[in-house]
Amino acid sequence: MTESLPAEAYAAALAGLSAMTPARLRLLIAHHGPAEAWSVVNGTSPPHPAVAPLLAKRDVIDKFRSSGAERHPALVWDRCVRTNTAVLIIGHSDYPALLAADYAAPSVIFVRGDLSILGHRRAGIIGTRNATEGGRRLAYRLGSELSHAGVVVISGLARGIDGAAHRGVIDGDGVPPVAVVASGPDVPFPSDHARLWAQVIERGALISEHPPGSPPYAEFFPARNRILAALSEALIVVESRAKGGSMITVREAMRRQIDVLAVPGSPLNKAAEGTNQIIADGARPVCDTDDVLVALGLSTKRQGQLVFDPRPIPSEGDQRIFEAFNGDALCLDEIVDRAALSLADVAMALGRLEANGWIVANGGWFEPMGVNTLAIDRLEV
Amino acid sequence: MLAAVRSACVTGSTGQPIVVEVHVGVGLPGFSIVGLPDAACRESHDRVRAAILSSGHSWPAHRITVNLAPGSLRKNGVGLDLPLAVGILVADGVIPAVRIEGLGFVGELGLDGSVRAVTGAVPLVAALGDVDPVVARRDVPSARIATTRTVHAVATLGELLTVLRDDEPWPPLPLVDWLEEPLPPPDLSDVRGQPHARRALEIAAAGHHHVLLVGPPGAGKTMLAKRLTGLLPPLTHAQSFETTVIHSAAGVTLPAGGLIRFPPFRSPHQTSSTVAMVGGGSSYIRPGEVSLANNGVLFLDEMAEFSPVVLDGLRQPLEEGVVRISRAREAVTIPANVTLVAATNPCPCGEARPGGCTCRQTAKERYLRRLSGPLLDRFDLRVTVARPTTETLLSLAGGESTEQVRARVTIARERMLERGYGLNGELEVAMLDDVAPLRDAARELLRAELEKGRRSGRGLHRIRRVARTIADLEGDFEMVEVGHVAAALSLRVDIDRSHLERVA
Repeated sequence: MTESLPAEAYAAALAGLSAMTPARLRLLIAHHGPAEAWSVVNGTSPPHPAVAPLLAKRDVIDKFRSSGAERHPALVWDRCVRTNTAVLIIGHSDYPALLAADYAAPSVIFVRGDLSILGHRRAGIIGTRNATEGGRRLAYRLGSELSHAGVVVISGLARGIDGAAHRGVIDGDGVPPVAVVASGPDVPFPSDHARLWAQVIERGALISEHPPGSPPYAEFFPARNRILAALSEALIVVESRAKGGSMITVREAMRRQIDVLAVPGSPLNKAAEGTNQIIADGARPVCDTDDVLVALGLSTKRQGQLVFDPRPIPSEGDQRIFEAFNGDALCLDEIVDRAALSLADVAMALGRLEANGWIVANGGWFEPMGVNTLAIDRLEV
Repeated sequence: MLAAVRSACVTGSTGQPIVVEVHVGVGLPGFSIVGLPDAACRESHDRVRAAILSSGHSWPAHRITVNLAPGSLRKNGVGLDLPLAVGILVADGVIPAVRIEGLGFVGELGLDGSVRAVTGAVPLVAALGDVDPVVARRDVPSARIATTRTVHAVATLGELLTVLRDDEPWPPLPLVDWLEEPLPPPDLSDVRGQPHARRALEIAAAGHHHVLLVGPPGAGKTMLAKRLTGLLPPLTHAQSFETTVIHSAAGVTLPAGGLIRFPPFRSPHQTSSTVAMVGGGSSYIRPGEVSLANNGVLFLDEMAEFSPVVLDGLRQPLEEGVVRISRAREAVTIPANVTLVAATNPCPCGEARPGGCTCRQTAKERYLRRLSGPLLDRFDLRVTVARPTTETLLSLAGGESTEQVRARVTIARERMLERGYGLNGELEVAMLDDVAPLRDAARELLRAELEKGRRSGRGLHRIRRVARTIADLEGDFEMVEVGHVAAALSLRVDIDRSHLERVA
């Protein structure tokens, strides 16, 4: 039985070992090839001199062998076949050239769906999990409009910005999306994104460095971000705090000379601290899908477009209250303070503004919605 | 020889009259006490004996039987020391029996014969009835508010003997500083900004609505809550006495004059047990924090940190305004008519502003689950409080003072009570249409809100009650206008739904 297993089965098993890191996997596969690397790890073949120091580490080899005993290549391969997961090894012809050229390319990737869509133009959309409603809506619209414009949207399927961007792609009828995830390709995380996850696989492709069944360990996420950055031609940060996973992806993108664009936000918005910082550091601001298309060289029509806002224009008084927001998410106290009106007047105005989509109320907070958070029609001039 | 001395003991916050019967008769020298005494009562034998000996008398070398009547009631506390000593001295023939007619005794004895103050002096003296109370000197203020009879105080058992046996006059009462004003509660003008939260306090004070303040640490939730007591009208004499009785029964130090005149503010710690919160206890039933806050404010800071069992225990008192504790032998009702103010963070990290929170989704959900449930429903007012900016703190002058707001509250309350249905927070649902008729526009607004699926039927009634209070505060005593309903809606944030992803 062991004879009949393809090299991919061994590669998959190696990628799933405890204590395996991208660098260690790269070392093993580069010097031995998957099948031989497996027997080297299990002590049945002699290691290459370059590999020997790694295998001399007692704790590493113990973890390799104990986890390898439970996850035999035959079992891992069986799960790959059952979940319809393609195992792509670096150097093989089906491994995407785009990724192979990267200096930190993963040695093995697991793919569900159709990777050929990577031939389109590609843009990564990333951002914080704890996003504002406005941030999520903008991500949704960017996802939807970019895919409509023929751009593959690459994201991480996380909560918040990532999920909203991909939902935008799925709800539209444009180019399908690509997801890069940190768990096994059949382990949806977070679990409430399971449906979106399935839709991405059905329409586009989902890439992971980890074999089916791998749980989403925290240390997998930063490594995932480098793949996301490597696949993108331009990286758009919709919202990010000063620290966090998105900022890691930004660093990975800058290392690779990939264009980083960011959505500017109010200084009161903690979720815009990171993006404002990136812009201060020289990234181009994104207020609209056109900004991304211009960055990708797909459009030069930045000017001369009129946007049709379908929302009923608020009365003069309501407009004054909407303007009092000045783009910040506020609670009622702050609005009453800024608008200097009575509580009842403000409450009624907010009710009307919300009904017409100018603001979103959530848990006592009110977020103003700019025109770029709408699914809008465009008027050519 | 037989003696009967009048005294009292406390269950819950109510005093019960007791008669201490002492029989000193032939038989082997010994002492027995019957009539369901608790441990403290049973120990009183040793204290009383030492006190009598220290006062220069001999302990009768006879058989002494003590009965605490009525026999079916459980007796507790140390207040029975003094009547017991008096009873023995009367039965032994030291004090003539006629001298204790028309007197009632409450006090603990020290081994040296000193008379000490007792817990629950107010309800105890009140329960003595139509006799002149004899108490410890420190209990004089409490005794004087509890009875209209002449209060006598003694420092020692020896002093009492000189009065009862030797016909000396009663020693003069200690001077009580009746005029000392207790410190008023902190003033509302200290609060900078936060017009909306101040408004919520005003409405809560006027209509007796419970308030939940949601906001990050440092937003001033505790500061706001402390200022609510000042907005409440001063206690009536009956309320004042009721609250004083409870405080006395629980052994809480009373103000110098004895009477609690301002609405109390109680802020129990998150680790409080159910017994500490609602009352109860193993040997005798002690009032809990919710009763100590009677006619005042009960403040639960960091409500999500309280044990769910403790919070559940609050539901019945909040509904009925009294605590009912039933035991095999006794059932006790203690007043607990409070305005509940609770404060909570919106999530473990406290950053409520959209995009500011750094909590894990699971941690956030767990936190919110502790908050939700039936108790959350009792809060008519649920208000988001933001941390004020530095400019607000420094630039703005303070808003209205407590006195200005209280004037409006007092008028609104008077109007509510004139209607005869109590305060708006306690309005029956059936009365809403009569008391709080809605203008058409207001009805439309509520209908729209219901159709959006945001409010439940019960939530709607609460909004109508709050809208009635807002109208009363603004001087619209008849119809409830659309503005009042809109303001009421804005004061009832749905924290359950907050922080949930909504896009697409």
